[in-house]
Amino acid sequence: MSNGDTQPLLACRNVFKYFGGLAAVNDFDLDVYSGDVIGIGGPNGAGKTTFLDVISGINPATSGEILLDGIPIANKKADVICHLGISRTFQLNAGFESMSIRENTLVGASFGRGDKGWFPRMIYSKEMHERVERALELCHLQDRAELIVRDLPVLDRKLLLMAGALATEPKLLLIDEPVGGLNPHEVDDVMEIVQGLIAEGVTIILIEHVMRFLLQLSERVVIMHHGEKIYEGDSKGLLSDRKVVEVYLGEGTADRLQHMMAERA
Amino acid sequence: MDFFVQIIVSGLTFGSMYALAAVGLALVWGAFNMLNMSHGIIMTLGAYFALLWAELLGWPLILAAPFSLVCGGLVGAIVYFLSAHWMIKQKNFEVTIIIATFGLGMAIESGLLKFLREMFRTAPYSQPLSLGAKSFLIFDVPVSYQRLVIWTAAFVLITIVGIFLRRTSVGRAIRATAQDRNAARLMGVPVRRVYVLVLAIASGLAAVSGIMLSSFKDVHPLMGGDPMLKAFIVIVLAGLGNITGALYAALLVGLVEASVKVLLADKYGFTAILILVILALIWKPSGIFGRATVARQ
Amino acid sequence: MKRRDYIIFAVLLGLAIAYPWINPPRYLLASVLLMFCYATVVSQWNLVFGLAGIFSLGQVAIFASGSYITAILGRYLEWSLWYTFPVAGVGGVFFSLLIGLACLRLRGIYVALLTLAVSQMMFILIQTDAMCSALNKKVNPATCVSFTGGAQGLGDFGSFGWRDVFGGRNWIIGDYYTMLVLLVIALIFTFIVTNSRIGLAFMALRDNEELARSRGISQFKYQLLVFAMSAFLTAVAGSFYAAHFGSVGTDLMGFALLLFLISMLVVGGIGRPWGPLLGAFLLMAADEVFKEASDWRNVGLGIVVLIFMVFLPEGLAGALDKLWNRGIQLVTGRLQSGGTRADGE
Ligand SMILES: Nc1ncnc2c1ncn2[C@@H]1O[C@H](COP(=O)(O)OP(=O)(O)OP(=O)(O)O)[C@@H](O)[C@H]1O
Ligand SMILES: [Mg+2]
Repeated sequence: MSNGDTQPLLACRNVFKYFGGLAAVNDFDLDVYSGDVIGIGGPNGAGKTTFLDVISGINPATSGEILLDGIPIANKKADVICHLGISRTFQLNAGFESMSIRENTLVGASFGRGDKGWFPRMIYSKEMHERVERALELCHLQDRAELIVRDLPVLDRKLLLMAGALATEPKLLLIDEPVGGLNPHEVDDVMEIVQGLIAEGVTIILIEHVMRFLLQLSERVVIMHHGEKIYEGDSKGLLSDRKVVEVYLGEGTADRLQHMMAERA
Repeated sequence: MDFFVQIIVSGLTFGSMYALAAVGLALVWGAFNMLNMSHGIIMTLGAYFALLWAELLGWPLILAAPFSLVCGGLVGAIVYFLSAHWMIKQKNFEVTIIIATFGLGMAIESGLLKFLREMFRTAPYSQPLSLGAKSFLIFDVPVSYQRLVIWTAAFVLITIVGIFLRRTSVGRAIRATAQDRNAARLMGVPVRRVYVLVLAIASGLAAVSGIMLSSFKDVHPLMGGDPMLKAFIVIVLAGLGNITGALYAALLVGLVEASVKVLLADKYGFTAILILVILALIWKPSGIFGRATVARQ
Repeated sequence: MKRRDYIIFAVLLGLAIAYPWINPPRYLLASVLLMFCYATVVSQWNLVFGLAGIFSLGQVAIFASGSYITAILGRYLEWSLWYTFPVAGVGGVFFSLLIGLACLRLRGIYVALLTLAVSQMMFILIQTDAMCSALNKKVNPATCVSFTGGAQGLGDFGSFGWRDVFGGRNWIIGDYYTMLVLLVIALIFTFIVTNSRIGLAFMALRDNEELARSRGISQFKYQLLVFAMSAFLTAVAGSFYAAHFGSVGTDLMGFALLLFLISMLVVGGIGRPWGPLLGAFLLMAADEVFKEASDWRNVGLGIVVLIFMVFLPEGLAGALDKLWNRGIQLVTGRLQSGGTRADGE
C-alpha cells in the first residue's frame, strides 16, 4: 500500500535516543504510510520499546525529526501527540487498575481526541460512548465490559490496552508485544483481532517476538539491533537475510519459519 | 571575624546534631523506603533516658549516653514491630507508614507528657550531661566545651557507622538491601532483620542527638519536633537515601541556620532553611547532593 | 453510586436537619457543627488524595488561609463576614494553585514533604509575626497587635450574625445550619466531580500516569485543576470556622489539627465516597469520649490512627463495603465484581 508519491503518515529521520552513553535508538529512519502494517522485531534490549516511547512522546528523542502528517512532533508531550492521532499500547500490562474495562476504554474515547480549554467539559458526549462501544467490539470485550481491571487475566489486559488505544480513533496505532506471555490459543485470538483492525484500514506499527505473529500480520518488517535498523523489507527476504539470522533468529528458527511460510503460501 | 567564627562554631554544632539525626533517617529510607515520623519523639526520649539514668538512678554520668543510645535502639525496634513489620507489604507503604508513625509518635509524645506531668512536677529539667557554660576562646569568641564534646561525639559515632557499613558483613548486608531489596533477599540476606537493625541504629543515633539538643535547652517532651523536621529537611536536600549527602546537607543546614540567626534574627533561622528546602524540591527534587538519576517516585 | 447511597444520604440529611429540634445539649450541637466543618475539609482532601492520588498535606494550610482571610478582612476592613467567604474561597484557590504548581514535578512522598514544608512555613511566618501593625492602630489604637495576630491569634472580626436574627441563645442553631449547608454542598460537589469526566481523568492519572498521558490526559492541567477545585470549599470551611469561633490562631496550622484531619480521612477510608463523613463522625465521637480524660486524647487518637493504618488501610468505609458485598454475595450467591473498587461508582 505504500507508494512514493504521497506524504508519509509518519516520517522519522535520524532519530537518536540516548540513556547516558547508551544509544537505545541509533540514527533511526522510518516511513509509515497510511494503511501500512509494519512489524518491528529484534533481540531483547534492541530499543524497540524505546522507539515507541520516542514516537508517542513518553520519552522524547535526544535528537532527530519525527513528522506526523508533516507536523513535527518530536518535542511534543504525550497527551498532545495522542490528540494528533498516535495511540499506543504498553509492553507491561498497564491499565487503570481500579476501573472497569468500559471506563478504561472511556478514558481513551473521551480524552484521546482532544481536550480543549482550561476548564474541560464535565459530561461525556454521545460520540465518546459510541467510540467505547466500537473499540470494545473490535477487541471482543463487550461481554466483559464491567469487570474491574485489577482482577483480569493477561489476555484481557492486552486486549484492554488495545481497546483503550483504539477508542482514541488513532491515525497510527502502536502495539508493543500484544501476545507476549500468551499461550498459542490466545495468540490466535489476538491475531484474529489485529486482522480485524487491518481490515478496517488501521495503520499499525507492531512489536513482537513471536515471529509467527509478526510475519503473518505485517507487510513490512524492520529488525532492530543495538538501536539500529539492520533490516527493512518483506518477510521472505528477512528469513534469508544473513545478518538477521545471525543476530536474532538463528538457523533453526529461520528454517522453521521458512517452512511455515511455505505451507501457508 | 567574630561573626564569622560565631557562625562556624554554631553552624558546626547544629550541623553535628542534625547529621546524627539525619543519617539514621537516610539509612532507614534507603533500606526500605520508610520515613519515620516518630524519629523526633525518639530524640526526646534519648534526652530523657540520660536524665533518668543520671538523676533518678544516680548511676555514673559517663555511661548515661551509651545507655541512652541502647534504649533509643530498643525503642526503634519497638517502633518497627508496632508499625512497619505489619505494613511493609501494603501497596502504598511509603504513604501509610508516614501516617502510622505520625500517629505512633503523637501517642508516645502525649503519653510522655502525661506521664511526666505526674512523675516530675517541677519541670523544666536541665540535661545532666550538659557541661554548662565553661568555655575557651577562639579569636575572642567563647566556645563552650560542650560544643567540643558534641563535635567529637558526632564525628566518632558517624565514623563508626561508616566503618560498620563498609567493613562488616552485616553492614554489607544493609547496603545490599538498600541497593536492591529483592536481589538481597534472593542472595539470602534476611531483609526483615536488616530493617529492624537499621531502624534500631537510626533510633540510637537519634537518641544521642536528643541528648546533645537538650544540653543547650532544657529537657522537654516537645523538644524533638523541630529538630526532626530539620533532619527531614536535611535528607530531602541530600536526596532521600543518600547517606554521605546527608552529612554535607546537615552541615549546610546548620551553617545556613547559624548565619541567618547571627546576621538577621533568631526567628528567621527555621524560615530560611524551609525556603531552602522548598526551592530545592521545586528545582531539583533528586536532592542537591544527589545524582541526577535518583528516582523521584 | 447506587440507590443504597442515595437512601443513606437522604436519611443522614433528615437526621442532621432534625437534630437541633430534639434540644441536644449546647456543647453537643457545637461538636456536631464542628464535625460538619471538618467533614467538608476532609471531603475535599479526599478529592486530592483519594481520587487524584496526590499525597498533599497542604489541605490544612488552605483551610487556615481561608480562616485568616476572613479574619483579616473582617477586622481591618470591617467587611460583613458574608462578603469575605467567597473572597476567602478564591484566595484559597490561588494559594492551592501555587502549591499545585510547586508540586508539579513531584510524586508520592515528595509531594507530602513539600506541602508539609509549605504549611510549616506558613505556621512559622505567622507565629513569629510580632510587629505592631499600622492597620490595627486604626481599628484599635490602644493595643499592639501584629497584622496576622502572631502567636496570640486574631479576634474581633465579627460572626455570621445569627445573634441578631435568632436572638441571644439560639444563634448557634444558625451556625449549625450554615455549616450543614456547606457540608451538603461539599458532598454534592464531590459526588458530581467524582462521577464526571474530570473525575475520570483524576482517577486515570492516579492509577497509571504514563498510560493516562498517552491517552490524551494532560497531567499539568488536571493536577492544577484538582488543586484548585478542592481548595474553594476547603477555604470557605476555614472562613466558616473563623466566623463560628470568632477567633483564629496558629493552631490551625499545627500538627495536632493535621493529624486529627488526616485521621478522619484514614479511618473513614481514603478514596471512599463515604469515608470523610464516617471518619469525621468517628473521630469527633472518639474525641468526645477522650475529652473526659483530656490528657489521653492525643494518645488515643494516635493509637487509633496507628491501628487503622496497620490493620485497615482501606478505612472503615472500605471494610464496610467489603462486608456489604460479601453479604450480597451470600444472599444472591453471585459474584459481585465491583466490590473492591476505590471510587464511588
Ligand atoms: N528509562 C531508561 N533508562 C535507561 N536505560 C533504558 C531505559 N529504558 C530502556 N533502557 C535501555 O535501552 C535499551 C533498549 O531497551 P528497550 O526496552 O527499548 O528494548 P526492547 O527492544 O523493547 O527490548 P524487549 O524486547 O526486551 O522489550 C536497553 O538496553 C535498556 O536497558
Ligand atoms: Mg520492549
